[in-house]
Amino acid sequence: MIDLILKAVAYSSGIALTSAGITIIYMATRTFNFAHASMVAWGFYVVFALYSLLGGIPYYYVVFAALFSGLLGVILYYTVNRRLLRAGASTVTLMMSTLGVDLIFFAVINIFADYLTEVHKIPNARYFVLELKDVSLGTIDGASVRAITLISTLVVIALIVSLHLFLTKTKFGIAVRATIENTALATVLGINPERVYVLSWFLGGALAGLGGGLLSMTISGYPAVGMTIIVTMFAGSIVGGLYSIFGSLVGGFLVGLSEYLGITGLSLAFGGWILAYRLIIPLIAMVSALLLFPEGLGGIKFKGFSLRLPGRTSSKELKSEV
Amino acid sequence: MVFEIPPLILNILINFAIGLIITVSLNLEVGIAGIPQFGRVLAVIIGAIVAAAIPGRLLALSMGLPYGADYAFHLYNFKIVYEINSVLQSNVILSIGVLLFTLAIAAIIGGLIGYACSYPALRLKEAYLGITLLAFGDVVQTIAWNYDPLAGATQGVMVPDVFGWIGIGPGRYLGLILILLGLGLLSFIFVEFLIRSPFGRALKAMRDSEVAAKVYGKDIVKLRAEALIVGGALAAIGGALWAFYAGHFKAVTYTRLTWTFWPWAYMMLGGIGNNLGMLVGVFAFSVIRTLIYAYKTELTAFIPISPQWFEYILVGLAIIILVLFRPQGLFPEKPALTLPKKEIEKIRQRIKKE
Repeated sequence: MIDLILKAVAYSSGIALTSAGITIIYMATRTFNFAHASMVAWGFYVVFALYSLLGGIPYYYVVFAALFSGLLGVILYYTVNRRLLRAGASTVTLMMSTLGVDLIFFAVINIFADYLTEVHKIPNARYFVLELKDVSLGTIDGASVRAITLISTLVVIALIVSLHLFLTKTKFGIAVRATIENTALATVLGINPERVYVLSWFLGGALAGLGGGLLSMTISGYPAVGMTIIVTMFAGSIVGGLYSIFGSLVGGFLVGLSEYLGITGLSLAFGGWILAYRLIIPLIAMVSALLLFPEGLGGIKFKGFSLRLPGRTSSKELKSEV
Repeated sequence: MVFEIPPLILNILINFAIGLIITVSLNLEVGIAGIPQFGRVLAVIIGAIVAAAIPGRLLALSMGLPYGADYAFHLYNFKIVYEINSVLQSNVILSIGVLLFTLAIAAIIGGLIGYACSYPALRLKEAYLGITLLAFGDVVQTIAWNYDPLAGATQGVMVPDVFGWIGIGPGRYLGLILILLGLGLLSFIFVEFLIRSPFGRALKAMRDSEVAAKVYGKDIVKLRAEALIVGGALAAIGGALWAFYAGHFKAVTYTRLTWTFWPWAYMMLGGIGNNLGMLVGVFAFSVIRTLIYAYKTELTAFIPISPQWFEYILVGLAIIILVLFRPQGLFPEKPALTLPKKEIEKIRQRIKKE
């Protein structure tokens, strides 16, 4: 039981990071980033490739995974997204363009996997389980505690703290918030929105790579892994409300947790056949969040505490104030 | 008198015919009605499931063969369908009847699916709606991939061969192509007429400005639902035809990539909103994809990567280049011209006389 919960927490933390990446990109550029699927898969593959070639502990290479996917995000911004944003394209067009990019990234992952198999003679490059290489920290009640749970939880906490400090204390962070809030007004005040867009693409991509690198320690990796879990990532982002980074972290965590624990609970009750339907849980969470609470978790206000960034008001609140 | 057609051209034409039905249905929803349909695979897979699950079962029932969950079990299925096929082969009228009946059922269920999609379509906008429809598609996909008793899931089931009476060998393919191309062009013409009808013009008005359409008394709720119903029905027919053509249904081959994103690429190449452009877009992509598929081995000699990934890169690049440099597609939608004033005066005079 403890074993299961620890694994679920590790999985959910990974999903929370990737969901936050989707939200950051959407908040800044109105783009639903489909290429997130392949950016996450690249996270898996960077960690796997470096670990297979250089050895050591897989965690060493998670940073490189984040940097690489962040770079992919920046490339995507400069080649495709910038031009479309300047032309004022609709959200559907923006979404479609990232889909085209995703197909290319996906093809390149597959070519890379083929390259690993053929040139470096790594036999399992098309399907690998890095989980087995994890470090054990000890045992609780006979269940071994692996490092991934601790590390991914720490990463999420560190991210929350550093993002909060960045967005509220630094000048550039405040400029980022101003641009998201009102691009035209921010431009008038001398803020260059393009710098904010690049940063958001880099951060979003880096979170995808980071999430992918950490997820590779809980689920098995294959080239289409991103395509499989992108639904869960989108669900987390949408449940979080799409306009709140912290909301998306909570949303991603909740969706990942309910998927992981929910399907295990159901399989205990109904038998193993139900495991194949695990994707339906995040899908239901996402569709019901969209149809019932379009504001998501970010829209809920707990006594004086909101998941939204300080200073940001939703259109609904603005209307009621007026 | 049977003359041989090279298999390459056969494949191109069949891909073209089915692709045309799906793309035209997508264009009706996306280009004309302005609904971001990212869940096209939903109606397609439902149509294919209908073709795989219903006619075979009904025939098995009438022939006294197992028709329940056993029907979809792969060890029995091919024997049952073999029996069915031998009956269908000798009975032309029954075969055509089964084909038309299945297409009708597929259209009805596809229409119902479209109607179900109108629930989110009225509440959500743009990308949110696109994501929701995509999620709907994925739910049904997951169920079809895993639920054995329906249509065999991972093992797949055989689909009764309703084209068995045409004959065997090259003649069969000629007949098949004529039927499929006929149906493809028929659906193209149907949608073309639909677009030019008052209904189509109301859809365009809704797409361009919902408020203006409302002001002129158009019922947005009804228009959206109707566009989704017609689109869903057409796509389901396309899915059913594909299953009949393939002779085998395997749910894993129906992915959102093949049946949602590729039709989107076809549509974007042709020009979103322009029905005539669909012919060109689908044809161009059918030719390229079939050629890549056919010359796989030859291609590997020139480029060191597997041609399968080459195809992905090509489609991806096509989407990006179109979005960036020619978002209106090869053949942009033309504004619908109204009649010249003289003509309108003439018609007015004629109505007065009557």
